[in-house]
Amino acid sequence: MVKKLVLLQNIVKTYQTGNIEHQVLKGINLEVKEGDFLAIMGVSGSGKTTLLNIIGLLDKPTSGTYIFDGQDVSKLNSKEIAFIRNKKIGFIFQAFHLIPWATTLENVLLPLLYRKEGFTKEDEKEAVKLLERLGLIDKIHAKPSELSGGQQQRVAIARALINKPKLLLADEPTGNLDTQSSSEVMKIFKELNQEGLTIILVTHDPEIAKNAKEIKIIVDGVFVEK
Amino acid sequence: MILKYRLLFGGLFYKKLRLILSVIGIIIGVTSLLLMNAFGEAAKIKTIKEIETFGPEVMMVVAGSVRVHGGRAIQTEITTTLKPDDAEALRKIAAVRYISPVFNGDGILRYSGKVLTTIVNGVNEEYIPLRKFPLAEGRNFLKDEIIGYKKVAILGQKIKTQLFENEDPVGKIILLNRLPFRVVGVLAPIGIDASNADQDDQILIPYTVALSAVYNVDYIRSIYLSLESITQISLAEKQINELLIRRHKVGEKNKDFEIVKAEDILKTKTQTTELFSILVKSISILCLLVGALGVTAIMTLAVNERKKEIGIRKALGAENKIILLQFLVESVLITLSGGIIGILIGILGALILLPLFKYPLVFPWIPIFSSSLLTIFFGIVAGIYPAYRATKIEPIILLRSH
Repeated sequence: MVKKLVLLQNIVKTYQTGNIEHQVLKGINLEVKEGDFLAIMGVSGSGKTTLLNIIGLLDKPTSGTYIFDGQDVSKLNSKEIAFIRNKKIGFIFQAFHLIPWATTLENVLLPLLYRKEGFTKEDEKEAVKLLERLGLIDKIHAKPSELSGGQQQRVAIARALINKPKLLLADEPTGNLDTQSSSEVMKIFKELNQEGLTIILVTHDPEIAKNAKEIKIIVDGVFVEK
Repeated sequence: MILKYRLLFGGLFYKKLRLILSVIGIIIGVTSLLLMNAFGEAAKIKTIKEIETFGPEVMMVVAGSVRVHGGRAIQTEITTTLKPDDAEALRKIAAVRYISPVFNGDGILRYSGKVLTTIVNGVNEEYIPLRKFPLAEGRNFLKDEIIGYKKVAILGQKIKTQLFENEDPVGKIILLNRLPFRVVGVLAPIGIDASNADQDDQILIPYTVALSAVYNVDYIRSIYLSLESITQISLAEKQINELLIRRHKVGEKNKDFEIVKAEDILKTKTQTTELFSILVKSISILCLLVGALGVTAIMTLAVNERKKEIGIRKALGAENKIILLQFLVESVLITLSGGIIGILIGILGALILLPLFKYPLVFPWIPIFSSSLLTIFFGIVAGIYPAYRATKIEPIILLRSH
């Protein structure tokens, strides 16, 4: 039987601005199995990014249960959450979020700084291999400011993959990229999924969503049937 | 290994201006505190030195009545009944060590075309040891010169410089109110004494000559005397009082003299010093607070600017304690380097500025180091606290900040 990696039950997220409460997620139920490639589609403000942040443990739900890889997330302490963020989840942001003073290679190696084992020469070789696969071998010592948007996003992908996560989360990964770069990124995602990596991506673009095995549409904080 | 530290602390050197500003903030705080402390202490020592020009064993008998105001004995009523013989009579009091009649007045000095006005003090040969005035050149008066009405003079340091410049004045003849006086000695620089008189701007002559030849009077203005020991002050005061009342045939109520003890003059002076000391301390504390606030503000800003970096690191799985450790090390590096540079600049500044203001060179190390440490402490706390707060926030909120 295929293992459930993500299990969301009745997830609600409320933001408080002043006295006004704004419910972004209104009871989300979701099941993602190992090897899935899910695209969550929705217009801006539909709550898709908030949902992805909660799945990626970057934000906490107001209520509801989230079981990640068999563990109830609400029962984890900050150290255990840090461990999951580091080892089990790779996150790719729309705005890349690379460290501006670090080179391509350093950005990719950064997650290894925070795992118990530290890093070795082998890890450096692994990172170089990864960058080679993503076509960044000649940009290994460049700073993010010297890279194009597509190149920066590929650095972010390498960073998300360096710790061999179980789950790859991507928030509008092609949102800041041109068509050429977008299709390159999507090609990589497909390859990774074929190799067994579970992927959840969030997008508003149906052309991007088509690459996924499954598409779910979120409207105003709830999933709707197609 | 190197890569590890670069990944941890690379952000420190990313914004050079921010780093320099933080370090400068600490430098300014530490330097100003050090200078403040050094100046305060130097001023205190200088005042104590001034007070010492008027030894605690010194007493004055002043003709007329006197009010001590702001450390200065002001004659409020002048009488002509105090005579040189009174000084001779007071010599019989057992506790008296040195005694000198004093007549002071203005005088015009002339030497090789130069003219200046100064204070003339008619005294005897005991006045210089009594006041513990050091001689720079020549010698003190001889007893024979006092008794023998010799026109000899000892110059204050400023008078010597103004009249003679680099010339050796000893043996030269100067004119005081058109009378020729031979210079026998020059006082070393003394400065302003506790009664606010500039002891470098005066000329000493035998009181006998002052009374008979220069001012043509038969009375003196005061008698200076010093005691063998300060324990005898109150007894001596009583004896002087009784003796002079008897000699002047006056009552206690309508007496024509007043006894001023060093204590009376020093009391107000000490109060002034203490007030000054409190002032310096308050300013130091104010400096410390302002410095600490500045440092806190700069460090807080520097860390706030890096909220996004904290967010990225947390999203990649950094534990809170590692982020705190990173900012602790960075804060320590910034504040410690700033603190050391600040202390060095402060010491250099004190070495240059203190002599410039003719202050004694002192470094009160304990206040300097304790205040520097406190500034550094504030810097470190200000560096960690915002980072600590940031670790408590969900990473996604940090990532949204700019």
